[in-house]
Amino acid sequence: MLTATAVFALLGLIAAAPAAGQAPGHYYNVDKEVRIEAKVREIVFEPRYKGTAPFLVLRVENSGDGRVFDVEIAPSWFFGRDIHGGEKVAIVGSLAEMPGQTPTIIARELRLRGETYQLRDKHGFPNWQGGPRGKRGIRRLGRT
Amino acid sequence: MMFKEMRRIIPLLMIGAALPAWGGTVYLAFNQHSTQNLFQTKDAVSDQISAFSLAFDQDVSALSLMGKVEYSAFRQTSGLSVFAADLGLDYLVPAGRKSAFYFAAGGSGQFYRQTYDAFSSLGANLLGAFKTYLASSSILKIQWQGTYAVFKDPLFDFMGHTASLSIDKYFPSRTTLKADAEYGYKYFLHPFLPEPVEQPIVTGLAGPGQMGMGGGGQGGGGGGGGWGGQRYAGGYGFIPRYVSGGGGAGIGHVSTSFLAAQGLGDTVGLSASAVKQWIVQGENPFQSIEEFYFVQNPSADSFSWEGYQINGRLTLSLPWDVSVKGGYTYSDRSFPGVESIGLDGLPLGLVRQDRRNLFEARLQKDFRRLSVFVSYSYVDNTSTDPLFQWKSHYVMGGFEWNLPAGRKGGF
Repeated sequence: MLTATAVFALLGLIAAAPAAGQAPGHYYNVDKEVRIEAKVREIVFEPRYKGTAPFLVLRVENSGDGRVFDVEIAPSWFFGRDIHGGEKVAIVGSLAEMPGQTPTIIARELRLRGETYQLRDKHGFPNWQGGPRGKRGIRRLGRT
Repeated sequence: MMFKEMRRIIPLLMIGAALPAWGGTVYLAFNQHSTQNLFQTKDAVSDQISAFSLAFDQDVSALSLMGKVEYSAFRQTSGLSVFAADLGLDYLVPAGRKSAFYFAAGGSGQFYRQTYDAFSSLGANLLGAFKTYLASSSILKIQWQGTYAVFKDPLFDFMGHTASLSIDKYFPSRTTLKADAEYGYKYFLHPFLPEPVEQPIVTGLAGPGQMGMGGGGQGGGGGGGGWGGQRYAGGYGFIPRYVSGGGGAGIGHVSTSFLAAQGLGDTVGLSASAVKQWIVQGENPFQSIEEFYFVQNPSADSFSWEGYQINGRLTLSLPWDVSVKGGYTYSDRSFPGVESIGLDGLPLGLVRQDRRNLFEARLQKDFRRLSVFVSYSYVDNTSTDPLFQWKSHYVMGGFEWNLPAGRKGGF
């Protein structure tokens, strides 16, 4: 009896566990793409998916209705770019809403300081680069 | 020679080709350069450069693996054509929700054709950095980087490191202020030639026998590949010193810089910055140094000068993902240990000092996976060394194409 209970409990846990360590429904759904213009309120660096580096997450306030979203940017961006609280951003991404949680936008495109960054392709495939190592610096015009 | 080196790189290429299949990203770029003054001296030598590069980036948990191979072909001065490869990995370690450490290690190789084989090198570097948000609008960064490189011409072998600290603050007026401080030290392991049995004709300058090694520019009293009545065709960009007993030589600097940036509406960005640098230890071990366009010359780099530089920049973000950037930079730099040398090959008794005006403009159009651009630069350089009185136009165009091949979904 105890064995059967343990097996059912284990099966229940397996059924309840999100795939690949992520919340159910938390994936790039092209049918749920939204575009918002917002102001950055907070910047945090936190784990989002099992087996990946922590993500740079922007907590933003929608300029239109004041709604708050968490925007997932990319793991490498914490060092690669300097984003500050108070900056205005425009985001295109997939909206994932879970009851009782702050709605999350998985960003595909970010517009910041007049520049547009393609973080994912239109199907949601990641497209980000590494950290501050950047590209190999070829010295030109003696600017080093 | 080149094919022999490429055989060593092929395994790296195969790794680079295979990794994207596991979820990484591949970057393919091509740049075409045109310069009126490849060696950046008064005797301008034109050239065209075609640069191809293939890079990949693969994340495995908090670890990233990066690699790049590049080939740059010089049309006229084919001896400067170079094959380069970089391989590195980095690791991100969170320290709370607002901070993180970043560690990176890498190796690189550059392989020039026989004429400029002295520049061929193998190197390794380590990097450690810490970044934290002091407040949501203020960032503190601390970074250390160490480098070791060995060259085909051992006079260039060096080890060096830099440590830097920066702090910035963003204001609601869309103004960003940033301050940086840096300390750097570069130690050339054996930059001197042994004293020859017979002194050169002009004391302190490379003799004709050494022209192939250094100082094709103006040493040797007109011998070798220098100019002495001939058209300058580029040497190895330096003239070594003769020191009995040899030994190493180090040069260290501290620098500070300030930047102010202002956003105007959604389309205009303005910035102004200033850098001041002091040499605080040692001096350049070489008697004369040169900069080449597009070529990393180990005798002339960010460690070799003191002075200041000011810069102004304008960025316009136009519809249809078109951006325009323009900039102006003025620099006043002296090179401690480097002598000004007259066109007759005799020292002028002055430390070399260069003043430079640089104008730049760039037009870029971004597509979803492709960026194309054209850029133009103009340099007007005056110097206490008459060889380095020069002006030149540069035109460049190219594209970068990224090919993501990652997993679909939340990651």
